Amino acid sequence: MVERFFDKQARCLTISVKGRFDYNCHKIFKDAFSAFDATICYVIDFVEVTYLDSSALGMLLLLRDHAGGERADIRLINVNGAVMDTLKAANFHRLFSITE
Amino acid sequence: MEQPQPLTILIADDNPVDRLLLASILRQFGHKVILAVDGRDAVEKFDAKTVQLVCLGITMPHKNGWEVAEDIQCITGDLFIPIIFLSGVVDAVALSNCLRVGGADFISKPYNTALITTKLNTIVRLLVMRRTLEEQRDAMALYNQQLLNEQDVAKVVYENITHSNCLNDSALSTFHYGTHTFNGDVILAAYKPNGGMHLLLGDFTGHGLSAAIGALPLADIFFDWTKKGFLMRQIIPEINARLKGILPTNMFCSAAFIDIKVNDKSIEIWNGGLPDLLFFSQQSDRPIRFASKNLPLGILSPELFECRIDPVSFSSGDRIMAFSDGVYEALDGAGTMFCDSVLPPLYKGEIRAEESVDWLMAQLQQEDVLDNPHDDISCLSVRLDPAIGIDSSRHLVSKAHHEAPADFSFDYVLHADSLRNTDPLPYVLQILTTVPGLSRFSSQIFMILSELYSNALEHGVLKLSSAKKDSSDGFSSYYEERERTLANLTEGFVKISVKVTSDRQHRLLVLYVEDSGVGFDFHRASYDTSNTELLYNRGLGLLHRLCSKLEFSKGGRAVSAHYCWQVGEES
Repeated sequence: MVERFFDKQARCLTISVKGRFDYNCHKIFKDAFSAFDATICYVIDFVEVTYLDSSALGMLLLLRDHAGGERADIRLINVNGAVMDTLKAANFHRLFSITE
Repeated sequence: MEQPQPLTILIADDNPVDRLLLASILRQFGHKVILAVDGRDAVEKFDAKTVQLVCLGITMPHKNGWEVAEDIQCITGDLFIPIIFLSGVVDAVALSNCLRVGGADFISKPYNTALITTKLNTIVRLLVMRRTLEEQRDAMALYNQQLLNEQDVAKVVYENITHSNCLNDSALSTFHYGTHTFNGDVILAAYKPNGGMHLLLGDFTGHGLSAAIGALPLADIFFDWTKKGFLMRQIIPEINARLKGILPTNMFCSAAFIDIKVNDKSIEIWNGGLPDLLFFSQQSDRPIRFASKNLPLGILSPELFECRIDPVSFSSGDRIMAFSDGVYEALDGAGTMFCDSVLPPLYKGEIRAEESVDWLMAQLQQEDVLDNPHDDISCLSVRLDPAIGIDSSRHLVSKAHHEAPADFSFDYVLHADSLRNTDPLPYVLQILTTVPGLSRFSSQIFMILSELYSNALEHGVLKLSSAKKDSSDGFSSYYEERERTLANLTEGFVKISVKVTSDRQHRLLVLYVEDSGVGFDFHRASYDTSNTELLYNRGLGLLHRLCSKLEFSKGGRAVSAHYCWQVGEES
């Protein structure tokens, strides 16, 4: 499940993923981050994510590309447990700002 | 009015008047009619190849219409030949019976020409639709068959490319389970020209063909560059750049690369996104874990890509093990991931190193993961030994006896900038292997060349002391210092001079390497290789053994190595 909230003032898009973040979220996640133009920053809330697979890592890369690659401002928040392990193993903390 | 296309129609009716009346109506529209006088006659005259429509009376002697319908359906099998019942009764039960046994429709008596025409038109449309469907079905089946054939061919090509390696070396144990025809995991192993081995375990995002497709360039670069003598730290960025160039943004390859260096009994480990590699040292109770320090391959652009490599020295019988996500994230019977439920004893050193692969496979079997895997699963383990890959070139010996004479020489001088940025060895080797007969000795020549060059660079130009390599810790700090001083190098040179003279009688290669260092006291050099536990100074003994003559000059700043080779099978 994917929910989104757009803060017009800050032009900040928050996407909350719930449950398993895997290939089944592909379309809805892509729709969520491409829905708003002129977004400055992205926050992905992992508080309710129980599992993350490699296609989810791929989706984060797609978002990063969409948000401007090297210049992208993307924060992954409320990351815990196994999800943190997966992100760390892939060294994604070098691409994204990740917090617990 | 729409004119239906002419059909061949079988009419079975024991009432001669009705039979002839219907026949004449149908003939009027151009249809061809076959007549049967009762049920048995109808079954005999029915020919599935010609008849396209059957009209059956319900009550007939010998066999009633419903029985005939069943017989005919038995004969036709998959073919669609509609059956229409002819009925004088308007009994709802009898009529619904007709439809139940497979009748397409019924025509009531007395016959009404307009009604019959309409019904025939409907039947014709049904036939046309049915034929279209059948054609589409056949086309699909054919297409599917072609697809399967193509996949089979592609699988052969794929396996030839990804398995053209030395996975059958006795030092290796591997297993490999795919969820699809094509596997998104690859295990590659190749002998290096100077002994030792390169190993790669890769896991592409996703499964099946789309995951496997990236394995082709990966394997291609891996084998080609290893054969040419490139180093792991040169091959990895090349693979990354190629994958970055060809894969879509959301696809990448998590991988581990292991370089087994037999000359100084060490391995180098690069881990990008795979679960921790485990190094089982016989001196330690539990395995040393090598966590991923790199992003997977194919994500970063070449400018941003860096190679974070862990060096470690080994003694004979130590082991290194790697496995893919499919193992780490496999679910046990209770739905808990392997990393939490099954793997801890392995991490704690409770499983003997030499049994670890079998043990892991048994765990996967026991938890029913192998029979229905959610992800591709692969695992590799190597028993480390300084003999790995030595003499590997013997397997590749060419049978050619004749050779053309060769006579050439060249100098290759690298100054600071080039010392920092290039590795000259693959290029020199490439030129040398153009000499007929010499190419089969490329592994020995590469070994000599790389010993001479690394001595010149590390001890001559960078002024590193090999005594530093005296312990496992010192070993990695030696390499760190090598990296650092090389990166800051502003002056110095290494000169490589090559001279080849080869005719039927004499075949001689002279490699002369000179550096800008201060030299060393070569009179005290030890050529003894009997102390195998020594982590350094093994190079000179090796050179001494391989070369017919080894001569120092210029106060130890220069050395020339003479190498003679034989042609044919006599070696």
